[in-house]
Amino acid sequence: MDLGVGIGWRPEIAGFVGALPGLRFTEVIAESVHPAHPAPELLELRERGAAVVPHGVKLSLGGAEPVAADRVAHLAACAEALGSPLVSEHVAFVRAGGIEAGHLLPVPRTRAALDALTANIRRTRAELPVPLAVEPIATLFDWPDAEYTEGDFLTELLERTDALLLLDVANVYANARNRGEDPVRLLDRLPLERVAYCHVAGGVEQGGRYHDTHTAAVPRDVLDLIAELCARHRPPGFLLERDGHYPPIGEMRAELDAIAAASGMAPVT
Amino acid sequence: MSAGGAGGAGGAGGAGSDGGFDAGLAAAQEALVRAMASGGPVPAGFDAAAVRVAAHGVLLKRAGEVARAWPALAASYGTAWNAEFAAWAAERPTQGSFRDGWDFARAHWDGLAGEAARELASAEIVWAYDGASAPRPRRAAARRVPGGVAVRFRGRVRIIGGPSRRRRVPPDGVPRGASGGYGLDQ
Repeated sequence: MDLGVGIGWRPEIAGFVGALPGLRFTEVIAESVHPAHPAPELLELRERGAAVVPHGVKLSLGGAEPVAADRVAHLAACAEALGSPLVSEHVAFVRAGGIEAGHLLPVPRTRAALDALTANIRRTRAELPVPLAVEPIATLFDWPDAEYTEGDFLTELLERTDALLLLDVANVYANARNRGEDPVRLLDRLPLERVAYCHVAGGVEQGGRYHDTHTAAVPRDVLDLIAELCARHRPPGFLLERDGHYPPIGEMRAELDAIAAASGMAPVT
Repeated sequence: MSAGGAGGAGGAGGAGSDGGFDAGLAAAQEALVRAMASGGPVPAGFDAAAVRVAAHGVLLKRAGEVARAWPALAASYGTAWNAEFAAWAAERPTQGSFRDGWDFARAHWDGLAGEAARELASAEIVWAYDGASAPRPRRAAARRVPGGVAVRFRGRVRIIGGPSRRRRVPPDGVPRGASGGYGLDQ
């Protein structure tokens, strides 16, 4: 599958996204989709032949508790309604003991967490009509007592579950920067041939920490990491995530063009 | 391995890759969620400062989401919105931005005026909300609002003297368009 450069569909920028002449790939937050009547702008993109990927944020694949059947069913219904080639979710948990965290939280890199993730991904895949890609998250902190490196943890998870990888280049950058590590080292330890597509986003530095907010321009370092990744193995697509502080159209276009240039893919603007 | 730590191998539930429930992992995750969302202590072994920073980031993100679902409410607080909402929400885990905004508005009912009061009244007549479970659509209702009376009948809200407005029942309890505008799309 060749997806090219894409951008996350959000109601606030539906006009901009729909008017991109070369766009063949977008993503929509699954929890915002009404499968019985999806947004007409999304259906229009689908009609044009663009791949529309439902991106779940509340399934809690990394939770000790089994994934909720109705949430899995919703993801499957989104894929059916949008004719999606795949769906994606996170290597994270978002609730425990009946309490919502309100955010994606990291899982411990332990055998126990790997087992829970494996079971939940298998449960989810069993109900989905299309493949599932899972995305490692950006986090400002890690659990103590890790039994695996991040690379080994993710590699084993993908081997166990046969899931695809949604690699967020900005998350790799953010985590490495906040841990004082080299982001390229993680790229070298991941099974890049399993990458279904990549996320790209910008964030802000605050109090000595880099926050992956999706509300700022993509930093040069992240664009450079795209080039590093493509030099190793070029993934099928790169998708820009923007979730607020939407800039003027010219700046959004420039962001997409910069991603195309860094990845060697065709511009979509 | 630290107590209450990573829910590591051999957790109390003894889960295997067959998907059995691991009570140790569940308890460790719950402790972290409580630290993040309801003011609980940061579990042993974590970088407490980093967890607190992350928790504050979540509160600001929630404030932004509530502001999109309840634009008049947030606007009525001006630049103080993020801080006001974050202070109120710090020990209240999210119930989704629609309910969070509603709970905040009810808790600050006395101070609401103009558009913010109208926004709350519009929600109150469209949905039956007991403050504990998901709002359900009402069949018909009326509420006094600043400048008149809001009436709902056959799915339409009319503020007497104001524009006709209507809300559609959403999949996740958040009105359509709630992330992009007033949430009372015509």
